Amino acid sequence: MSNLAQDGEKLDRNRMSAQAPVSSPSPGDGPTPTHSVPLFYRRGFRRLLQQGLYIAATALLFWYVYDALNLREFGFGFLDDPAAFKVGNQWLTDVDGVTSSRIEMYLVGVWSSLRVVFVAILLSTLVGVAVGVARLSSNWLVARLAMLYVEIFRNTPLLVQVVLVYAIFLVGAPIIQEVVIIGDFAFISNRGLAIPWPVPNDGLWGLPDWFVGVWVALLIAIGAVAMTVRRTRQNRERETGQPQFANRWAFGIFAVGALVTFIVLGLPVSIDRPYVEGTRYLEGMVIRPEFAALTIGLTLYTGAFNAEIVRGSIQALPTGQTEAANAIGLSGYQRLTLVILPQALRQMIPSITNQYLNVNKNSSLAYAVLYDDLFRVAGIIQNKAGHALEMFFVIIVTYMLISLVISALMNFINSRVTRVGV
Amino acid sequence: MSEQPPIPRPDQRPLPPAPGAGQRRIVLPPHRQRARRPRSVRVREWVRKNLFPSTAGTLLTLVAGAIMGAILVGVIVFVFFGANWEVITHNRWLLFAGGFPHEEAWRLWVSIAVVFALIGAAYGTWSSFGRRDHLFVLVVGGFVIFLMAHGGAAIWSTVYFLIAIGCMYLGYAATVWMPRETSTLRTLQQRIVGGLLAISLPIVLVILLVGGEVGPRHIDGFVLNLILAPVGIVGGVLLGIPLALGRASRMRSISLTCTAYIEIVRGAPLLGWLFVALFILDDVIGGDLIIRAMVVMAVFTGAYMAEYIRGALQALPRGQFEAAQAVGLTPTQSTRLIVMPQALRISIPPMVGQAISIWKDTTLVTVILPLRELKGNADSAIAQFEFTPDRIEAYVFVAVIFWIVAFAMSRISQRVERAQGVGER
Repeated sequence: MSNLAQDGEKLDRNRMSAQAPVSSPSPGDGPTPTHSVPLFYRRGFRRLLQQGLYIAATALLFWYVYDALNLREFGFGFLDDPAAFKVGNQWLTDVDGVTSSRIEMYLVGVWSSLRVVFVAILLSTLVGVAVGVARLSSNWLVARLAMLYVEIFRNTPLLVQVVLVYAIFLVGAPIIQEVVIIGDFAFISNRGLAIPWPVPNDGLWGLPDWFVGVWVALLIAIGAVAMTVRRTRQNRERETGQPQFANRWAFGIFAVGALVTFIVLGLPVSIDRPYVEGTRYLEGMVIRPEFAALTIGLTLYTGAFNAEIVRGSIQALPTGQTEAANAIGLSGYQRLTLVILPQALRQMIPSITNQYLNVNKNSSLAYAVLYDDLFRVAGIIQNKAGHALEMFFVIIVTYMLISLVISALMNFINSRVTRVGV
Repeated sequence: MSEQPPIPRPDQRPLPPAPGAGQRRIVLPPHRQRARRPRSVRVREWVRKNLFPSTAGTLLTLVAGAIMGAILVGVIVFVFFGANWEVITHNRWLLFAGGFPHEEAWRLWVSIAVVFALIGAAYGTWSSFGRRDHLFVLVVGGFVIFLMAHGGAAIWSTVYFLIAIGCMYLGYAATVWMPRETSTLRTLQQRIVGGLLAISLPIVLVILLVGGEVGPRHIDGFVLNLILAPVGIVGGVLLGIPLALGRASRMRSISLTCTAYIEIVRGAPLLGWLFVALFILDDVIGGDLIIRAMVVMAVFTGAYMAEYIRGALQALPRGQFEAAQAVGLTPTQSTRLIVMPQALRISIPPMVGQAISIWKDTTLVTVILPLRELKGNADSAIAQFEFTPDRIEAYVFVAVIFWIVAFAMSRISQRVERAQGVGER
């Protein structure tokens, strides 16, 4: 009997309430001594009973679901089998689907999703900041235009936006036989937009392809040097008050370094021009209508939400900040970039992070425009091989991993931004 | 002590301005007084200040004006000259109710009339129709009637629709004249209207499904959106309250399982859960696909609602819990009477945001489930041979319909927030 009560006490050891534990009588608990409280009315026993019932009910539910699911064939072995389907919209990968396994196809899908998510996050942030600032513009027309944008795109389903953009591409763009050529290097048709793109090549000295990696590594090193110089010069400017042109120096070092290494390595990169052969684009970078529709839809939709977040965080700043910036004679642009936005950023980041996580999950709408993202590839695999539960498991783990990466990055940025207290 | 300047006694100090003195008009000295300028001057000044303040500002106005003009011209040209709206008018029943049997159409109209009457009664009880509300009803109602009159007039549908609108104004008229002061009668009125609103979803489901040969699989088209979203929202709130309390619970087993539920559900997109509804839930709960979709909608929304309610619980000052305990309320009583009402009030704005989001997400059932809601039936409409080139028109129409409802929801929520004093203490 007392054992049970003690167990109950153990369970609520992390309790913060001011009430005294049941086992020790206290003046607040009234005159009744503990030993006369019937077991059924003791707090510890109650807790234990409640949790016991709860756990029993949950276990029953799990058992029911487990029983209903019929898990005899549960296992992930089917992912190693040959895929036997094709995946479109590949970039930097060339998986044919005949020799490759299903898991490889799925990873190609993950890579496609990541591209969409990355581009959409980037563009939606730009749109959000621009529109959010525009909504607060003193120019009546600009503020109205921004409001119109937000109200339209926030209140319509993302799915409809995506298929509408896709429909506009399909109906509006010319067929590939009547491809529109822009300035001799870019092509538009309903097969997508083809633009020139840099590709590694042998270069003047006949170096192997992977030497472009050396150049990229050198570029990163030069960039690090440039950033160090920039920081030193910024510090010196802060100490001496003499202009040190930190940004110009950094940019100059990077540009000269990039050019010199590029020439020394024998021009390891060339620009590939696309061309049309028959009904296909060859070479260059092709932005397919599916990718464009999904990315544009996600950008417009999330941009509207981001704009509201930006506007809210700017409005949450004390008006004194604007007035002070005006008082020391900053221009409108300086006021925005030096005073308002850096401070609004601290407030924005948690909500914006939420929107980025939404972009990740909403990228699954690729299914509607037949863009082969991870969700659609998983759907195809499920269609071929069954194993819906395993496939769902794989999907949810992938989305959670991507979400974790986004959260971690944003937390890092948040810690950088909030490092200085206000 | 004597060196210190004497402290003036209270009655010798200059009087502070009396409270309410600021309400008097401030009379400026004559040299600062300006005559109220004529309207034309004021308009000119407003235009100069808001549109042409400087060279750069003028340039901005011109660019924005050009964009706005281009959009306006583009929309007008598209709507009145470029578009072929026959894809909508020819398929209006398909878009509205899809496979719902024509003979049973009265069930739809009765449901709509009931819901409209309840909306009117709610407005009459807690708010009132302003000029903008009448305008909204006029524009949207006109839009619907125009649709029904165009291309083979649907006379009876128009009549039913007008009756439904009449029911809304009847409900409004029945409630709006009642006194607003706190009284037994007022409380009774609020309880009745609130209770009817709370059970309006079951009422509608009964009207739609009981008797006759209408089954859940007949719910189709826009009607499916109109059913799915409330099921998701109501189910989500009902699930979200215990989940939020469970996550905040001190009992480890409860808080752990609730946290796991919330995080797992939020980890995957809604499409993923609909995938579950299609392939996995079949073995677990069975039933019609539409029932499974409803369950998934509620389960999915519940996790999000729980997070908003938990945020509100955390925002409540600790003193509220302690005060409830101090006056001797049991945990159940303090949750029901002190904590939950405040937490729900705080979480109205994010919950409405989630409700609008769920309203838009009802379109997703089309993507992987063989269910056809408004967007799905728009796909069916453009799959007809003669309408294949009209996909833009169909999707624009769908977007407009969703926009109208979402916009109305956001405006009503602003009313509710103001009436409930959200953000005030």
